[in-house]
Amino acid sequence: MFTIVSRAVIIYLLVLFLYRLMGKRQLGQMQPFELVLTLIIADLATIPMAEVTVPVLHGVIPLLTLTILHFFISLFCKISNKFSAFVSGKPVIVINPKGIDYRALKNLSLSVDDVFEAIRGCGYFSIEQIQYAIMETNGKMSVLPKSDFAPVTVQDLNLNVEKSVIPLNIINEGKIVKENIKLAQVDQLQIKELLKQANIKRVKDCLVLTIDKNGGVFIQGYGSHYQTLQTKPLGQVNE
Amino acid sequence: MTKAIWIRLVSICVLILSLAAICIVEDKLVDTALARVENMCVEIELAVEKNEGIVNGEVASLVDNLEYFWNKQESVMCFVVNHKTIEQLGVEIVRLKTYIDEEEQIEFYVSLEIIKHYIETFQHVMGANLHNVF
Repeated sequence: MFTIVSRAVIIYLLVLFLYRLMGKRQLGQMQPFELVLTLIIADLATIPMAEVTVPVLHGVIPLLTLTILHFFISLFCKISNKFSAFVSGKPVIVINPKGIDYRALKNLSLSVDDVFEAIRGCGYFSIEQIQYAIMETNGKMSVLPKSDFAPVTVQDLNLNVEKSVIPLNIINEGKIVKENIKLAQVDQLQIKELLKQANIKRVKDCLVLTIDKNGGVFIQGYGSHYQTLQTKPLGQVNE
Repeated sequence: MTKAIWIRLVSICVLILSLAAICIVEDKLVDTALARVENMCVEIELAVEKNEGIVNGEVASLVDNLEYFWNKQESVMCFVVNHKTIEQLGVEIVRLKTYIDEEEQIEFYVSLEIIKHYIETFQHVMGANLHNVF
């Protein structure tokens, strides 16, 4: 049993390291060759884990080989568009202003139902609303709506709004996030003052405290409702 | 180039070198061990012919040496070879000792031949050749 536990730890750490090496893209937007790799890795990793007579190296070697292969395929994809198109395919327009492109659908082995499902996933329920729909190489559908059905933007309304900023998380689960304190240019005294205003005694009693560029504070203690406060607008906030 | 790209490049280079090193070490290790076992088998055969039988100190000593060498090598080879694949060789070596005790010369020869056959098979299976690739 000790052998199995040890092997599980080794393989887990190795696969984790290899996935980190392959990059974050692997997790969200898998290209065909990345999907194949993920399936094979999952299978390879379990063999030496479960079978004690198989050396760990028999699982490790193919994993390393596949990672190296993946690195070079990704590299060639970046260098050559043709190679990238060969490995991952090209985005295909499936809906154009004339309607559904049936030939494109046939080439992609998609049905009209699949197209409807994909556009519903993008928030559109009628083809009439869509100017273009593109099937991306990672299997996701991108939709460009007709102007009449496009969501209204601030620009359309000619409104003057302040630039959106990401609030900085100053306290996270009772711990001060030091990097964000530097970015927000606030000091401990200011934080204590904000906690006092929200009736929170200590930093470790605070679940979350965020400050945005305009000085808007969101603060919540453990087991209490959140409060919004206003403090001095922050100096230069580096996002 | 950013730090992350450098780390990735260095890691990939390290992986390639590790892979090459493992392949070379495995090949050398298995080849040397199997060739040594084969030579020891030939030495045993010659000793049997010289002494006109298996019941003598020289043959017993050579078989003991073979068993000792194989036990040592087997534990190292388990890092690179499936344990199930090589365990049969150890079994045949143990049989050799029993056949000496029981004075069964024909079975002794059969076991020696089986050991040599296993070695040839392993050398073929472990070696880098097109038959194994496809």
